[in-house]
Amino acid sequence: MKRTNLNFKTVVLAILTVGLFTACSNEDDGPGTTPDPDPDQEDARWITVAAARMGENPGDGNGGTLIYALDSEDAKDPSVSIAPFDNGFIVPSNRTARLQASEDGSTIFNISYAGDTGGNYTKYLVNGGQDFEQTGSEISIAPYVGSAPRWIKLFDGDKTGAAVYVSTENMYDDNDTPDDETDDTYINTVSTMGVVTLDLENSAIINFEESTFTLDAEDAANGYYIDRIDMPTLNTAGDKLYIGARVRKLDPATGERESDYEILGSKTIVLDYPSLTNPTIITSGISNGNTNGYRSINSFEYNGAVYQANQSDPNGSYILKIGADNQYDDSYVFNLDDALGVEGAYVLAWRPAANGKAVLAYRHNGSEEGVAGAQGFFALVDLNAKTATTLTDIPYDPDFYLFQYQSFAVDGNEIYLTQAPVGKNGNIYVVDTETGAVTKGAELVNVEGSHFIGAW
Amino acid sequence: MQAQINRTISGKISAANGEPLFGATVVIMGTQKGTQTDINGKYILENITEDTFVLQASYIGYYNKKQNVTFLAEENNITVDFALVERTNNLDNVTVNGKSKKTALETEGFAVTAVQTEEASIRNIQTNELLNTTVGVKIRQNGGLGANAEYSLNGLSGSAVRIFIDGIPISIYGNSFNLNSIPPSLIKEIQVYKGVVPGHLASDALGGAINIELHSQARNTLNVSASYGSFNTLQTNANAVYRMDSSGFTVKASLFQNYSDNDYEVSGRSVVVTGLGGVQTPITAKRFNDAYRSVGGIAQFGFTDVSWADQFFLGITASDDYKEVQHGAFMTITPYKDRYLESDALLGNLTYKKKDLFTNGLDLNIIGLYGKRNRQVVDTLAAAYAWNGQRAIDFRGDEYEYTWGSQQEGGPTLAKIKRNVASVRSGISYAFNKNHKMLFNHVFSSIDREDSDALNTLLENIFVGTRDLRKNIFSLTYDVSAFENRFKASLFGKYYQQKNISKDPAITEDEEGNSTIVEEVVTNNTTNEGYGFAASYAILPEVTLLTSAEKAVRLPNETEIFGNDGDNVVANSSINPERSDNLNVGFRFGSFNIKKHQFSVYTNFFTRNIKDRIGLPIETSLNVNDELIVYVNQGSGTSKGIDAQLSYTYNNNLALNFNVSKFDLKIENRGTEIDVPNTPFLTMNGSARYRFNNVIQKNAQLNLFYNLYYTDDFSYLVPQGSNTTGDDFFRVPEQLVQDLGFSYMFPKKNIILSFDAKNIFDKPVYDNLSVQKPGRAFYLKLNYNLNNF
Repeated sequence: MKRTNLNFKTVVLAILTVGLFTACSNEDDGPGTTPDPDPDQEDARWITVAAARMGENPGDGNGGTLIYALDSEDAKDPSVSIAPFDNGFIVPSNRTARLQASEDGSTIFNISYAGDTGGNYTKYLVNGGQDFEQTGSEISIAPYVGSAPRWIKLFDGDKTGAAVYVSTENMYDDNDTPDDETDDTYINTVSTMGVVTLDLENSAIINFEESTFTLDAEDAANGYYIDRIDMPTLNTAGDKLYIGARVRKLDPATGERESDYEILGSKTIVLDYPSLTNPTIITSGISNGNTNGYRSINSFEYNGAVYQANQSDPNGSYILKIGADNQYDDSYVFNLDDALGVEGAYVLAWRPAANGKAVLAYRHNGSEEGVAGAQGFFALVDLNAKTATTLTDIPYDPDFYLFQYQSFAVDGNEIYLTQAPVGKNGNIYVVDTETGAVTKGAELVNVEGSHFIGAW
Repeated sequence: MQAQINRTISGKISAANGEPLFGATVVIMGTQKGTQTDINGKYILENITEDTFVLQASYIGYYNKKQNVTFLAEENNITVDFALVERTNNLDNVTVNGKSKKTALETEGFAVTAVQTEEASIRNIQTNELLNTTVGVKIRQNGGLGANAEYSLNGLSGSAVRIFIDGIPISIYGNSFNLNSIPPSLIKEIQVYKGVVPGHLASDALGGAINIELHSQARNTLNVSASYGSFNTLQTNANAVYRMDSSGFTVKASLFQNYSDNDYEVSGRSVVVTGLGGVQTPITAKRFNDAYRSVGGIAQFGFTDVSWADQFFLGITASDDYKEVQHGAFMTITPYKDRYLESDALLGNLTYKKKDLFTNGLDLNIIGLYGKRNRQVVDTLAAAYAWNGQRAIDFRGDEYEYTWGSQQEGGPTLAKIKRNVASVRSGISYAFNKNHKMLFNHVFSSIDREDSDALNTLLENIFVGTRDLRKNIFSLTYDVSAFENRFKASLFGKYYQQKNISKDPAITEDEEGNSTIVEEVVTNNTTNEGYGFAASYAILPEVTLLTSAEKAVRLPNETEIFGNDGDNVVANSSINPERSDNLNVGFRFGSFNIKKHQFSVYTNFFTRNIKDRIGLPIETSLNVNDELIVYVNQGSGTSKGIDAQLSYTYNNNLALNFNVSKFDLKIENRGTEIDVPNTPFLTMNGSARYRFNNVIQKNAQLNLFYNLYYTDDFSYLVPQGSNTTGDDFFRVPEQLVQDLGFSYMFPKKNIILSFDAKNIFDKPVYDNLSVQKPGRAFYLKLNYNLNNF
């Protein structure tokens, strides 16, 4: 029947064009030819690159998330050029897909964000180039955590993913006079949290639990509450899940949200795992601001502890440490303003290798305002030495924008990242975290208004 | 001026066999004075100043007849009856003098389509369906009868398109009295102005305007109809007009009722039931929470065709509707149960129309409405349901409730919006002579809005702000015609004034330190001007060049000015209106008459150049946790394309219509241009009608109908590269829908039976990505017209 329709359209248009009009516009698809790197290399790891096409605004990344895989040999080769916008696979997600990869890079996990299939989990075997072979059955976490879920994989050997959801309700005491508002008083705002765990291997829901919590009595009575959570991270013992949180405040007198208020110490929700019950809230004694990150993983387990970045801290982002006792270790002070020598450092994404050295994407108050927002930079970070050094071998541009940056691929001590300013070509870069050496890799061919959001 | 004597001429026009002719025309030759006969064939012409003249009676399919008339000095009333002789099988010789009202409107120079409702009103056709087949118009509806619809004119949609009922903004009437609920039989004509809107309909319409003109004739009629069909759809309506000839006292009443279960079948990637562990099984499901019902009516009392008014009416417009909501913007795996919307409106209306007020050529029109309308969203059920209509089970096999406590994510709601609304449109025009006319028009509209939610505490409800809107739009128009009517032009200027008032309760402390609640009132005044013209020139009698252009404006709405507490958006009082330079150039060829063949062609080329588009900035690390997002003027846009329409009739029995619309829509932000995604760029509609006379019974008439609707495929995503995969996920496939129908008019012509089969090949139809519309459906309708009472 499709053919019939095509014929219908063709015939009608042909008649009209010949008979009446001579100046109808033609749809032109320019012939784009991009060299396809050889996808078969032994002993090499797949590196999957994600590109975010512009939707309405340059850098908004809302026009589709395209992925393209090349092996790590090609990824390191600056003579190789790839064009995911022309040759990539469009990940099924109405807004920018939240992607994860298996540790060996052979599998890509996606949960689509928003739209009719929002919350759908899909798994792809990486076969190179645009060939991502869907595997496993369809499953959705939307019934538990909504169609725009915040999820990441837990680093437990690629077995489990976790997604979180929170909703809030303001509680009032009507003083036993429900019809008279003059004596009503605000009690607090209760957050209801849902956490779901997902079997990544077998495409099945493992567990889901709901729990409610408030901040401590004084903060809660003043109108502080947790309104967004994200970034579930498993501790080393594997018995607790740490969930990053954003704290907001309302005016207890009116119930309206406030915009200028004192920011509380950074908070994390600690939950029993795998039961997903018994939430407690821990608070950092050294930093303020949110720990829920944005689109990239914000906290990682390393050497018996979990290291967590925070954002929107008036003193600049910190790397915080949650010790084996599941409490913030306030003796670990790693301020990025101090380490980088800048003001207003803001961690956009980061990722440590097994050696405790990490690559970190950040902006700061001195960043230039580019076409899509503040200019971003990469730095090499040492969690043990608490040092951070900007990677100056990577070229920077005012339009180099990392807010939506999602991922770094880790292969041993090497970390792969993508670099391309909005609308301009760039490259894959490989950072040797031991030596700090930066290798320029394959060229990334960009298109107008678009950018690259990471390597997996 | 000579002394006025109220001279009247009246009479009856009938066929030679005595049957009264309804709608026959009587004119005083050499003047513009004339009228049409009522259902009984009777006519009356008043205020005749001429002493001697020729009176002509005409009726399609009959020979014209003329009669010399002379008023003697003391004579004030003359009766002239006509008996017209039918042309026997000689219809091809009929030369219809003058143009129909539709043709006249369409040759003024505007890019306008006048949609006639006669056929639709006797068939099982919704107003939205009728409008959707109009060239350059695309309606995208999120489901079946009663579902939310978005209107697009030449690619511009949303608030760029203004919709009116008799010139009053449809927002005054609210959701219960809209194009979903009003039946075509209430409507005389729908005028679709693309890009350029005449002064008499002045509004801040960036992309054009749709005006629904309700019936206004004052002939004694009663018609009732009832339609029943698939998905338990029942629609009834009744229209009655009664005029006392002696006093001119007139009563008009219209009632309508719509009901549908909308339980049509859907399938697709999100129509699944989930089992243990979350395993999904695709099913074909019947929609189970999608029912729609609406009732409404207009009652008017007043006088028609009296010395002081052509029309004077006072009345009431009332409506009420209920619409269940099956899903959000997309069909997801979590269908809604028991979420619904309710709205109602009660409005008083006033109409005054008088031609030749005080002096010849001075016309006055006033139409006004005042009242209240309410809307409520109800969503309080936490229990999860599956597409099979049963309680959904979770991965453990247990029935479960959503964490967010409601069907739609975002929490339970009983949100209620109350609005006090008022709107008055007035127009005064003066024709200096046949060729020059000035018009001054004004429309005022006011909406006071109050929000509350019964699930919130009183305290919370008190601190919800209110938003009021006052809009005044003035226009001055100069109409000119020249070269024996071959050239016509209309020049207009518009002045827009809008006042938005935001009232936010807040707490302040007085001198003694006591807290009191005060209302912080912020007002925002926006004024703007626009102008344009429309002109037509008949190069040959059958070839008319039409061109129109306007500097159009769309004033920012309340959310764009004051922001929205719930969405993190704060006020930007310096936001500018959206502007667009709109241009239409078109031709009308025809109609050409060759023997029994008659055809005409209409084309229009258009461009829209939009500036200062209003939108939200993109989310960045600087504003993601910020409370300070404002709407801003960002970027520009263009829409360019062509509309074309072909009509062909043969021997008055066969009628074929075809139209096609194609356009390119691009927007530009910060120097980067993109093709706007999620837009159907190419649509075509075709229709065929064939009439058989004397079928089964003598004097009975059978009409067969065929309709075809085509929408080219389009993608939810912006255009992608040349060699990408995965595109199909975002594609709305090409669609070709075909309907068949017939109507049978019984010999006495007062009963018409219509049958329609829609989407006969049961194709999946989508206006929006993955939101399926009804498949094959059948409807039967009975119409009854009572003419003599």
